[in-house]
Amino acid sequence: MIRRTSIYTALVSLALVSTQAIAQQIDFEKQVWPILQSNCFDCHGEAIHEGNLRLDAKTLAFRGGITGIGIVSGKPDQSPLYLRLVTAAEGERMPAEREALAEDQIDVIRQWIEQGAKWPDSVGSDATEISRHWAYVSPSRPELPMVSDFQWPLNPLDYFILQKLDSKGISPSSRIDQRRLVRRVYLDLVGYPPTYEQVEHFVNDSSPDAYQKLVEGLLASPQYGVRWARPWLDLARYADSNGYQADQYRNVWPFRDWVINALNNDMPFDQFTIEQIAGDLLDEPTQSQQIATGFHRLTTLNVEGGTDPELSRLNQVIDRVNTTATVWLGSTIECSQCHNHKYDPFSQKEYYELLAYFNNTPIEVSGKSSAFNFYGPTINVNRSLKERRKYIAAEEKKQSVQKDLEKVTAQFDEGYGQWLQEMKTQSTESQEWHILRATNAVSTNGATLKILEDHSVLSTGENPDKDVYEIEFTSDLPEITGFKLEALTHDELPGKGPGRFTAERPNFVLQEFTLHHGGNVLKLSDALADFSQTNFEVSKAIDGDESTAWAIAPQFSKPHSAEFLIQEAIESDSPITLKARLVMNYGGSRVIGRVRLSAMTGQRKSNAPSKRILDLAAKLERNAKEEQELHNAFLKLQPEYVQAQKAVTDAEKALLALQAPTALVMSEMEKPRETYLLIRGEYKNNGDRVLASTPSILHAQLEEDSEQRDRLELARWLVSPENPLVARVTVNRWWAEFFGKGMVVTEEDFGSQGDLPTHPELLDWLAVEFMEQGWSMKHIHRLIVNSATYQQNSKARPDLQELDPTNRWLARMPRMRMSAEGIRDTMLQISGLLELQMGGEPIYPPQPAGIWRHVGRNAPKYNTSQQTDRYRRGVYVIWRRSAPYPAFTNFDAPDRTSCVVSRSRTNTPLQALTLLNDPMYWEMTQALGQHLHQRQRDGAVSLREMVSYAFMRTVSRKPSEREVDILSNLYIETVAQLSDRPADLMELVGQKDKSASAELGAWYYLANVLLNLDETITRN
Amino acid sequence: MTKDLNLELTRRELFRTGGMGLGASALMSLLGNDVGATEPSFDNPLRARHSDYPARAKSVIYIHMIGAPSQLDLYVDKPKLREMTGELCPEELFNSQQFAFIRSRPKMYGSQFKFRQFGESGQTFSELIPEIGALADDIAVIETMHGEQINHSPAQLFMQTGFGRFGRPSMGSWVTYGLGSENENLPSFVVMVTGSVGGAGNSMWGSGFLPTIYQGVEFRASGDPVLFLSNPRGVKKADRRKIVDTINQLNREQLLDLGDPEIATRIGQYEMAYKMQSSVPDLMDTSGETEDTHALYGSKPNATGFANNCLLARRLVERGVRFVQLFDQGWDHHSNIEKSIQNKAKSVDQPIAALLKDLKQRGLLDDTLVICGSEFGRTPMVQGALSSAGRDHHKDCFSIWMAGGGVRGGVRVGESDDLGFSITKDPVSVHDFHATVLHLLGMDHTALTYKYQGRQFRLTDVAGEPVQQILS
Repeated sequence: MIRRTSIYTALVSLALVSTQAIAQQIDFEKQVWPILQSNCFDCHGEAIHEGNLRLDAKTLAFRGGITGIGIVSGKPDQSPLYLRLVTAAEGERMPAEREALAEDQIDVIRQWIEQGAKWPDSVGSDATEISRHWAYVSPSRPELPMVSDFQWPLNPLDYFILQKLDSKGISPSSRIDQRRLVRRVYLDLVGYPPTYEQVEHFVNDSSPDAYQKLVEGLLASPQYGVRWARPWLDLARYADSNGYQADQYRNVWPFRDWVINALNNDMPFDQFTIEQIAGDLLDEPTQSQQIATGFHRLTTLNVEGGTDPELSRLNQVIDRVNTTATVWLGSTIECSQCHNHKYDPFSQKEYYELLAYFNNTPIEVSGKSSAFNFYGPTINVNRSLKERRKYIAAEEKKQSVQKDLEKVTAQFDEGYGQWLQEMKTQSTESQEWHILRATNAVSTNGATLKILEDHSVLSTGENPDKDVYEIEFTSDLPEITGFKLEALTHDELPGKGPGRFTAERPNFVLQEFTLHHGGNVLKLSDALADFSQTNFEVSKAIDGDESTAWAIAPQFSKPHSAEFLIQEAIESDSPITLKARLVMNYGGSRVIGRVRLSAMTGQRKSNAPSKRILDLAAKLERNAKEEQELHNAFLKLQPEYVQAQKAVTDAEKALLALQAPTALVMSEMEKPRETYLLIRGEYKNNGDRVLASTPSILHAQLEEDSEQRDRLELARWLVSPENPLVARVTVNRWWAEFFGKGMVVTEEDFGSQGDLPTHPELLDWLAVEFMEQGWSMKHIHRLIVNSATYQQNSKARPDLQELDPTNRWLARMPRMRMSAEGIRDTMLQISGLLELQMGGEPIYPPQPAGIWRHVGRNAPKYNTSQQTDRYRRGVYVIWRRSAPYPAFTNFDAPDRTSCVVSRSRTNTPLQALTLLNDPMYWEMTQALGQHLHQRQRDGAVSLREMVSYAFMRTVSRKPSEREVDILSNLYIETVAQLSDRPADLMELVGQKDKSASAELGAWYYLANVLLNLDETITRN
Repeated sequence: MTKDLNLELTRRELFRTGGMGLGASALMSLLGNDVGATEPSFDNPLRARHSDYPARAKSVIYIHMIGAPSQLDLYVDKPKLREMTGELCPEELFNSQQFAFIRSRPKMYGSQFKFRQFGESGQTFSELIPEIGALADDIAVIETMHGEQINHSPAQLFMQTGFGRFGRPSMGSWVTYGLGSENENLPSFVVMVTGSVGGAGNSMWGSGFLPTIYQGVEFRASGDPVLFLSNPRGVKKADRRKIVDTINQLNREQLLDLGDPEIATRIGQYEMAYKMQSSVPDLMDTSGETEDTHALYGSKPNATGFANNCLLARRLVERGVRFVQLFDQGWDHHSNIEKSIQNKAKSVDQPIAALLKDLKQRGLLDDTLVICGSEFGRTPMVQGALSSAGRDHHKDCFSIWMAGGGVRGGVRVGESDDLGFSITKDPVSVHDFHATVLHLLGMDHTALTYKYQGRQFRLTDVAGEPVQQILS
């Protein structure tokens, strides 16, 4: 407000100077009214009253819109009616998006106000209240309407649908057949199709309540929560990483499991809301209630080097406000972040009043200067009693081996002094180092390897993500007993190196270092490095395992070296060639920038201490830390100690594996932050201070004088039965999940720019029913799937082509392609691989290499899940925001960086390629093919029967004769062809079954066809 | 545009209902014997569409240097700054803005490279990019770009989507949404990356709230060029044909039974997927290019890397692909900039110049807008010691350039102060830049809108004016 006033003041003084015309008495009806009529009423008239303002009614024009007063008699410079005509502020000047009024017209308005703003009662409307936009009026339960056919409705929903159809002269469609019905309701309630046997069971159940029983069973299935968590997790922008450049892993899955549990328990939606918005503020919150607050910890966060933590925090809070308004109010309050909402009655001040509720949680960025990390309140998540028992047992085990270790250590107290004396006199004299001459150096991925004068090899030019160096050296030494690999610095390297990662972190990761001589790989042992990064010990560079490595963070920008012994000395009279191979496939160009190799002559005892230890031993005085290091070096030479030590490490590891996972939670700061309106929405551009409050157009705050202006109050306000929006918005989203689109098609916008509901009475009836039946989601879902509307078939009808081409009146069920996760779950079920294990850490099903290759530190690694984990349901798949799972992205899954109310549903060639070729889907294709092949061999049934079975297993219904023909032909032709092409066949089916492999190949092709049918991925 | 807006509403409704179909006419032809017909009809979201006014460019090749190169070492010569090298940065300058990494008052650091004038226009370019410099008369440099974000990923998002946080569509998505596609066998918005993906991740070519059909499709350097393009082991081309035929035969049975146009669309998409299995490898196969062409780009037949991506970009626009986005990572020179930028510049100078020359000699440059930019620029102050000098992020004054597609070559837009720190004349915002690109494509940036959450969203948010000086 400060800003506006100052601009206004400036403008007013200008206006006063420029309009020195002698004031005449203004006639409202003749002079002012026509101006208002032709310029203002389109947006502020009887039909539309944007900003809650009507200028065609005297009382309302004086009262003004959401920003307050409209006209102050005698004071144009205090009357927005005038001020908004002359302001220069962007987006504020009226008429909006049109030319400004002519100067003389503006003068008329100004003078009229100056002269007392006399408005005869006879002019304009006598309205004294603005009719509220439908969505801001609380719903009340409408009567069931009269319908043409009382036989058709199965429950109240159907009356509203039929009444609309009656009014349009349309008849509903017939009931769908049992097989398609059972598939439909499985897909809608649990998210995957029934098995062949489940279909048969249902169609053979002739009891009158067979369908109701089926529905109850599905509603009670734990897989119901898994299916229905998906849309909620889209709203919650649930993902397992930060987003932005430092897109690291976050442990947030306890929240996902909380959602699934809450849905399975049919937690009342008001409680579901309160726990997520403010579970931490409840009296003595349970662990579960705290985990629920993870909802708002799921915002993206930029912790890239050099960010402004406070700005990052503000962005999170803004996201929390916008997401809350979208999810619970179906309102796009976001628009009022920078200015008063253009269309809906939310002022900018109200935006920041709402923001104040969320402004009191601690900052979630740690670090100083320019290096930051994700941070913030967490809690430990308890596990089951069984797991806790295991934990206690592991703890006891650890204590006992710890005691053993202490005993063993004490045994060697005497030996230490003696050893120390030895060390003081020992030297490394016999060992000598000789730099080897590099003769040829090749990078396999296109870097230029330059051999420098000092025989080191510099990697320049192209900086590939990963690399393997192959470098040849010659030596004319008569005997070699060991090698030293140096990683050196150089001015050309980022941050001088020694790695080629970034200038801030010039690290390298050496996964494997091997030396080859005369066709043999030398056996390297006893690795010693001047420095190794935690968990990246140098021995891991010679362990033959490329998943482990040597690295040197944070000791950047200085040279490092590693020494190795060889088991048998190399003896030669003539010069020899040695080939070194350095595997550095960690990614992110974490390769050594400059390499040098030296050979050792002379002896080092294989358990000889490093130079560092000898130096320490030689020192006259050692500090406690050095003494400790020396003592440890000594102990490590004792086998009993090493064994006891290993027992302790193992016990610690076991304990760690059983450790309770953590969950991200919200917590309120003791002293709340002060919240200010941000002028133009600009960071640090503070306007007036505001206090937490809810938008005035909606229902009142619970207790006007409450001291507690906190999230808990907000949460209770959101789910107050007075709230006109929350129940409508929620049931509308569910409606869209079942029927393809909401009754309000703009599910995310119930404001004046949103669509009107197709069935306003039904929407209100459902909203009231929802609230009165204890906010039960399952109750609403039960009503929907038990309705006659839902059980119609989905065939297109010629009459509807004209009467209702977009199927708004639901004279038939719409067909809908399933969600990305739904498709994967469905394929897993059909192929027989589906694994229904619930909960826990995210899974990593197969994806092509190179999907996770984005800039940024400590990028998580994609370690493909093995065994059953890879066949678990889509909701458990790891969600990395910078590169989500590609098979999901191709089917319109969002990146979960922001709240998504409804996904688009596209139909693209990339989808075809995914289902045809994605190795993950091919694995399912093969599983289905193998199953069919096995079944064919087990039972003596005809091909046509086999094909029918395969078809029913896939889409639940029986195939037509023609469909059986088509598939049988494919089978017969393929068997014939593959039998003639043994090499192709071998490639296709491998060595699995030599005798009948052409049949197996043919089943693969049939499975590939079946899993690609439109019907397979569509909810009919 | 009014007419189009009504059409948008229809299309929007179609997206909501899942109806991204071919529409009644195509449905009829499919129900007849004309199998596999994919003529785009009125509601095909990717049909080629007319622009608001005559378009100067039909396609765009947009090269984004991830990490942000130093404009002071490539495009903008500041002799005064060079003289001041080693002097402490003026106090008021240091206090005037927030830096990403510099924390204490730094020294000034002029370019260590020589600049000279090129062409009739006499534009200056540094010795690091002589080949691009030689095309000075085709290139318009905007010297006075300014952004709002000082960190990579928000700045990348801002540059690509006009908004510094997630959730908005990228420029390529907007353009494809506005103009559709001219090639049915290739995606209309193609992305190629050298090095790692920028910090903002795949959102840089995401479709935000636009239907996902408008998101960029990455052509990858290793593995399948388009994900899942190649058949599983042992499935041969003829087998794939037979499988796709069988799928479509069965889908046609369903179509006849249920009459859902979505099934007709899916039949068309399986045909297109099959065609892509040859059209994409054909496109990626550069072995048919002449030796001269490879010599021009510095590319190698069927190799990977930036030079090859430039050549592929030409092959893509040649085939009517609307928007080609190239990312080249490795320009974030916080230290040792002298060596690093030299190496990087060397790796892109020849290929980019070759791309312009090649487009020109094939008569494609007139219709193709080539853009070369980054998420921000770099400071005239040094980061770190002078001996290992680097430059920090700088959003208040940086350069991008454009050529072809209606751009007036040889033009320099704007002026900056002697240190290259602040703009002194003709600032160009990121929204202005976006408005200019849309203008060249024949679109009014205020009319290219999509209604979401009750608001008509634009690529240019609520700002932006086309930069008139560079329009030819």
